[in-house]
Amino acid sequence: MHRTLRHSLVVPLLAASAALALAACGSSGSAPAASSASGGTLVVDSTFDLKTADPARSYEFTGELLGHNVYEHATTFEGTDLTKPVPELTTFAFSPDNRTLTLTLNGEHKFADGTPVTVDDIVFSYQRVQGITGSPSFLLDGVTVAKVDEKSLTLTTTAPNLALPAVLANPSLGIVEKSLVVAHGGTTGTDDAAEAYLNTASAGSAAYQIDTLDVSSKIVLKRNPNYVGTAPTWDKIVIENVAPATQKLNVQSGTAQIALDISPDGTKGVDGGSTTVINGISGFTVYTFFAADAEHGKAASDPNFVAAVRHAIDYSKLLDIAGKGSVQPGGVVPVQFPGALTSDPTNSYDVAKAKELLARSTYAGEPISYLYASDVTVQGLRLELIAQSIQADLKAVGITLQLDPQPAATYYSTLRSNTVQAALSYWGPDFPDASNYLAFTPGQGVAKRANWTADSATGQQVAPLVAAAQAASADTRNAAYQDLQRTLNEVGPIVPLLQPAQSVVTTTTVSDVVPSPLWLLDLASIH
Amino acid sequence: MSDVLERPGRWTRRLAPRGERSPWRQPLAVLGAVVLVVWLLVAALAPLLAPFDPLEQSGDRLAAPGGAHLLGTDSLGRDVLSRVVFGSRLSIPVAVALVVGCLVVGAVLGALAGYLGGWVDEVVMRVADMVLAFPTIILAMVVAAALGPSLVNAVIAILLVNWPQYARVTRSLVLGAKTREYVVAGRLLGAGPWTSLRRDILPNVAAPVLVLATLDVGSAILVLSGLSFLGLGTVPPTPEWGSMVADGVQQFDAWWIGTSAGLAILSVVAAVNFVGDALRDALDPHTRSTVAGRAL
Amino acid sequence: MSNDVSTRPADDLRGSRRRAHPLVGYVMARLGISVLLLWGITVVTFVLTNLVPADPLAAVLGDQAAADPQIVAEYRRQMGLDDPLPLQYWHYLVRLLHGDLGTSPQTRHPVAVDLAGAFPATAELATAVLVVSVLLGVGLGLLAALRHRRFTDQVIRVVSLLGVSTPMFWLSLVVFYVFFFRLRWLPGSGRLDATLTPPPHVTGFYTIDGALAGQWSIVANASLHLVLPALVLTLYIAGLLVRFTRSAVLDVLAEPYVTAARARGLAPRQVTFGYVLRGALLPILTMVGLAFGSLLSGAVLTEQIFAWNGLGQYAYLAATKLDLPAIMGVGIVVGVTYITINFLVDLVTGLVDPRVRLG
Repeated sequence: MHRTLRHSLVVPLLAASAALALAACGSSGSAPAASSASGGTLVVDSTFDLKTADPARSYEFTGELLGHNVYEHATTFEGTDLTKPVPELTTFAFSPDNRTLTLTLNGEHKFADGTPVTVDDIVFSYQRVQGITGSPSFLLDGVTVAKVDEKSLTLTTTAPNLALPAVLANPSLGIVEKSLVVAHGGTTGTDDAAEAYLNTASAGSAAYQIDTLDVSSKIVLKRNPNYVGTAPTWDKIVIENVAPATQKLNVQSGTAQIALDISPDGTKGVDGGSTTVINGISGFTVYTFFAADAEHGKAASDPNFVAAVRHAIDYSKLLDIAGKGSVQPGGVVPVQFPGALTSDPTNSYDVAKAKELLARSTYAGEPISYLYASDVTVQGLRLELIAQSIQADLKAVGITLQLDPQPAATYYSTLRSNTVQAALSYWGPDFPDASNYLAFTPGQGVAKRANWTADSATGQQVAPLVAAAQAASADTRNAAYQDLQRTLNEVGPIVPLLQPAQSVVTTTTVSDVVPSPLWLLDLASIH
Repeated sequence: MSDVLERPGRWTRRLAPRGERSPWRQPLAVLGAVVLVVWLLVAALAPLLAPFDPLEQSGDRLAAPGGAHLLGTDSLGRDVLSRVVFGSRLSIPVAVALVVGCLVVGAVLGALAGYLGGWVDEVVMRVADMVLAFPTIILAMVVAAALGPSLVNAVIAILLVNWPQYARVTRSLVLGAKTREYVVAGRLLGAGPWTSLRRDILPNVAAPVLVLATLDVGSAILVLSGLSFLGLGTVPPTPEWGSMVADGVQQFDAWWIGTSAGLAILSVVAAVNFVGDALRDALDPHTRSTVAGRAL
Repeated sequence: MSNDVSTRPADDLRGSRRRAHPLVGYVMARLGISVLLLWGITVVTFVLTNLVPADPLAAVLGDQAAADPQIVAEYRRQMGLDDPLPLQYWHYLVRLLHGDLGTSPQTRHPVAVDLAGAFPATAELATAVLVVSVLLGVGLGLLAALRHRRFTDQVIRVVSLLGVSTPMFWLSLVVFYVFFFRLRWLPGSGRLDATLTPPPHVTGFYTIDGALAGQWSIVANASLHLVLPALVLTLYIAGLLVRFTRSAVLDVLAEPYVTAARARGLAPRQVTFGYVLRGALLPILTMVGLAFGSLLSGAVLTEQIFAWNGLGQYAYLAATKLDLPAIMGVGIVVGVTYITINFLVDLVTGLVDPRVRLG
């Protein structure tokens, strides 16, 4: 999934653009928060990539922040523990064959207008996501949603899907108030017309609700008076679109309390005094690949070539550029998810070995075209720096990369044409489960970009491991996915490079700020 | 019209070679020329002058100026001074080539429009108007974004939007020249349109158009670096001034990256403009005013 | 590159229009050309943006969604991408004539709404820049011409040349860094402090709207936000105007009628303002009009750095995301402005200068 195109170069300054000024809502001049006492306003600076606030359509970063904080979900994750989904609106239980997930209402939850959340609301919300054919629709592909009674519903799949409870926590699967949404044109088909309404108000049951929203500049949230959980600290939360450089200043001067997008280099020297830096690990996997077929990959399709690349990259230098908090995962699954591989010697810096492997390959010094998005940053990390660093590393062992930077729009269409020789890309989790990363296996989404097919020799080598991982029970699952990733590293054309840091800078007046790879922040828990 | 009313005899020499008007009597022009020569030398001798390989990521990242790195290092630990030095090899020649390209395309179309008149004139000038009415940088951005960032594409983009000003100036100069006695006489003596254009008109149009071109080299450097600044110009890791300024924007605390590159652009562009300005002053007043509005 | 400026619009007109026109004919002809130009702009943008190899859907859809043919088909249908190109263009043109510029796939807003927000932002900045630049540029240009080749002239020339030689994106960065980041004297980005709410929309100019609503703190804050970007742009635009005024005035000074006026013993002040400046006014006016036009689209880089939410920014995002309706919208807005200014300038020229009007 590509969540966001953060336009590095200018984004900082430019995307932010919007921010400060424009028509930003008719909000009544939210004053900067006075202290961390209950009440008051919390100002959060972020660079926006918001297109819509309709959860069933939103699939961008800022949208996830919004989706998580104004809508409740069937399940959720607590704190930084992404290994275990926990009940929110519903408790959940699998049938013995793991094909039917039964959701049962978890006590009484209320929408902002006081109406209780019902099974009908949940069914409607899920069917709306499925029927609308938007970016998040795939989350519930192949899932049949059915109401059982006033207390429960079932989600049925043809094959066992143990990841389903984790999927349901995705911000896009927020539960909307059916009657309200239907009244504003909402349906469960492509004729749905409720987006405009959901951009101006929220029909959710979480701690906050949308007060005003301008997709390019400012979001103002207010309390949900009927929220059944612990009442949040802040009366009002202003999320404003601000350039990273300005975010830093704003936090340092106390204009804002939280800044989400300060670049890795920018957070240096900010920790201490009136500000604190919280370095989390993001959920993004930055990876590179070389086309596996001879037609597009040419010399780069040689397994020895890819193996040489794996040892030619100085991962520690990449982590230095990516800043404190970034890590090199062993496989494609982020280290904080179940089933992750923390390290793998196949992907390690060893110039001598790289040269030796390269000598065994058919590569003879010809330039390899290397595609990347010139204007994209991942958590403040500029991909162009990573691309250039890799270029220098590979040059040291005798591989010539010819960089092919493209703006995001052209980058994605080029990438999806499945004809590139090599590329740098990244993957953000749709849900924190190793099964989300099956996209990296032969014939699936990401592997298709590299023309790595299931019927290729290496593809057939991987197939049984994929089957084993999918069929594994809850106890053997993690090990099965780890085995799968080791094999992907050994024979595959995709090299996981790093997980960028997720650095949040806050003033010392706020506490309990916990960055989440899934939805940036849980605003209700901030004090 | 002014051109028509011009006294006969003035056309023989539009660029006065000596006397008070000579560009080389002006200290600014000399200063500009000296700076320009220095930059040309820097470009020519870059490998000898640069202390490091401009692509080598050997230094500490974002090291402040001083020590081994006189102007510090950039986000990837490359020597900023070396990159500025090597940047001159790219910005200056490409800008010149770009201007020459615009000049050739624009001057030919403009001359044809002016000389032939009629529907050719209408078509050429309306197309020129259209391009001029469209926001230059936006058109360039669309082309660069669509074709993918690369130096060649940036040049194509700028060429596409920049030829009309040459066409307009040339057309207007040709219009002024073609009714003159010597041109008419040439035609009466049997010269075809092509010969007439080449032999009788071209020499009188060349000087002002060349002056315009000189003044335009500065703008060309600015626009090229502007596109690179937006990530739509040169491809990394090629050292280029505009993209270095862009890197500087990302690293506010590392002021030396953007400042060095920015000063390099400023000095070259100012030098070119000093020279071009003096050359323009050396043109006769009427021709000067034709050129004046175009290249500022 | 510099915008083309007709120092002598008469030159250009002469070629295409030989027969005499009464003023009405002249106006109609210019109007006709303007409309033709506008149409041309829509064609150029449409062709350009459709020639590109990129798929606009790629920028809109997530990875998983883009892999789903059903979703892709639905999006294509919604965006009207299934129609053949000429038909798409026709639909666009018809909607355009109804004032509908389409919906931006990026912002999901009607382009007209986006532009209505962005245009005043840029126009406010451009107006501020222009007011200062005209006072400064015309004044200094006149002074330089009157002191031709003397010390004052040289100084003004150097400064104005440096002004037009400075890369604006770099200068923006420098003043941003110095006055905002280091000294913290002035706000660095946006049009208002984040904590303030824009005044009720009347003109879209925060300074004016604030004053109309009596919110003086908004006026003050918005003015402060204007200072830095305006400073950068003024250096460039004033530099242009100085150079242009200087050369226009020098031309007039060489005219026989000025010599005659002097010979008749008129006071220098009378000659300067009554004859010289008046004589140079038309070309200067033309230049000012074009400077405004170029500010609308030319402030892209400055807008980036100062996070000024104007046309330039919108255009940049639209261009890099290949947001077809948005790009065309910007092209049309800037084209209309440019053509309107040109038209007005031509009109004034025609009114004042009978040679033009009568061919």
